[in-house]
Amino acid sequence: MELIKYIVGLSILFILASCQDETKKWTYQKTIDLDNSTPIGLAILDDHIWIADGDNNQLIHLDRTGKRLFTEQGFERPMHITTYGKSIVVPEYGKDQITIFSGQERTALSLTDSLDAPAGVHYANGQFAIADFYNHRILFGYEDNWISFGKEGKADGEFYYPTDVHIANEKIYVADAYNNRIQVFDTEGNHEMTIGKEEKMNAATGIYVSSSQIFITDFEHDRVLVYDIQGTLIQELSEGLEKPTDILLNDGILYITNYKGKNLMTYNQN
Amino acid sequence: MKNLIIIIAVLSFSLNSNNVNAQSDRDQIEVQVDGLGCPFCAYGLEKKFKEFKGIKDVKIEMETGLFNFTYPSEKEMTLKQVESQVDKAGYTAVTTKITRADGTIEESKQNITELSDQSEIVAKDIFVAGNCGMCQARIEKTAKSVVGVVNAEWDKDNKMLTLEYDSSQTSIGEVSESIAKAGHDTKYSKAGEDVYNKLPGCCQYDRVQ
Repeated sequence: MELIKYIVGLSILFILASCQDETKKWTYQKTIDLDNSTPIGLAILDDHIWIADGDNNQLIHLDRTGKRLFTEQGFERPMHITTYGKSIVVPEYGKDQITIFSGQERTALSLTDSLDAPAGVHYANGQFAIADFYNHRILFGYEDNWISFGKEGKADGEFYYPTDVHIANEKIYVADAYNNRIQVFDTEGNHEMTIGKEEKMNAATGIYVSSSQIFITDFEHDRVLVYDIQGTLIQELSEGLEKPTDILLNDGILYITNYKGKNLMTYNQN
Repeated sequence: MKNLIIIIAVLSFSLNSNNVNAQSDRDQIEVQVDGLGCPFCAYGLEKKFKEFKGIKDVKIEMETGLFNFTYPSEKEMTLKQVESQVDKAGYTAVTTKITRADGTIEESKQNITELSDQSEIVAKDIFVAGNCGMCQARIEKTAKSVVGVVNAEWDKDNKMLTLEYDSSQTSIGEVSESIAKAGHDTKYSKAGEDVYNKLPGCCQYDRVQ
C-alpha cells in the first residue's frame, strides 16, 4: 500500500513538472551577428551550426559560440536546410535540385519527379519531405518511393507557396507560406489539421516541431508564434526579430535566423 | 626587360579590348521593383528572368528594389517584355530603363499627366485595401497611370491613399475603379474575384465587406 502511494505521489509530481516545463515562457538570450550574411535556413550537425545564406549563395559554418569557421560557396539560392547522417541537405531554389553536401562532395538527391524552386527540406525517420514552392506541393519519401500531395489553392490540403516542412510525431508539418498558416498531414499525405488562421500571419516561412510545441516564423510581422501540439497559441516572440526565416530547437535553446537583421538569435526557457 | 614590358603592355591592351567588345554587345537593363522584401519572391523574380536565354550579370538589391541584368543586344529586349516578365513573377515594375549597347537609353514613363490653365489640383484620401510593399507599389503605380493624377501615396499601416489629381481631367471614382481593376478593394469600388485571386499570396488582404 505504501508503495502504491509512493508511485502515485511520484507520478503526480512528474505530471506537474512536465506541465510546468511546457508552460515556461521563452525569453530572449542573445544575438549572433552574421556579418552581412542573409540567413534563410538553419541546421545543427555535430554541435556545429550551419546557415544557408540565400543572397550570397553559400553555406556558413559556425561553432556554438557563433564563431565563423568557414563558408562553402557555389549553391544556387540555398534555402531551408536539414541534416542527413553526417551531411547537410540543401534545397537549391535556383537550380531546382536538392543537394547533399558531405563536406568533400556534393551529390543531387535522386527524385522521381522534377522540382520547381525547392524552398525547404527535412529528413527524419528515414524519410525526406520537400516543400516544392512553385509547384505548390510536398514530396515525401526516400530513394524510389515518393508520394506527392497538395496543389495550388486555399482549401485544407492545398498550398500557396509552401516554404518549409518538418517531420515529427509521425506527421508532416508544412509552413504554407502565403496561405499564412501551418498544415499538418499524416505520412500518407492526408490532411489532419490547420493551425494559425486566427493569428493572421503574413508569410509563414520557417517551421520546427518538437514533441510538445510547434514554432513558426511570421516573416512580415517580425515574430515567431509558438503553439502547443494541439494547435493552441501559447506564446508570441518578437524581441529583436527582423524578418525571421527559420527556427530550430536544440539542447533547450531556440535558434532563430533573422533575414533582415542578418543575425542568428537565441531564446531559452530560463 | 624592355621587350618583356612591351609584351605585357600589348597583352594587357589586347585583353582590355576583348573585355570592351564582350560588354559592348550587351544591353544593360535596370528595373525598380517595389516590395522586394521577401527573399522567396525576389529569388522567384530572378528565376522567372532565367527564362530569357542569354541573361547575365543578374543583381538584386532587396533594400532598394533594384534589379539589374545584361542581355544580348541583338535580341532587342523591349521595355514591355521586361515589365511583362516582372508582372508574371507577381511584381510591379515601377520604373524600367534599358541602356543599349550603343549608349542610347530607353525609359518607361512614370507619370503621364500634363497640366493646363484649366487644371484644378485637388487632394483627397481614400481607403484602399492591401497588405504589403508589393501592394503599395501596385496601388501607387495604378493610380499614377490614370491621366490627371499628379501624385499618389499609399500608407500600408492605415490603408489610406493620399491622392493629388487634376479634377478637370479625372475623378476619385475613375481612380478608384482603376485600382479595383488592379485587384484592390477601395471605399468606392470592389475588385473582381478573378483579379484578386491572381494577386501574390502576401498581397491577398482581407476583403472589404
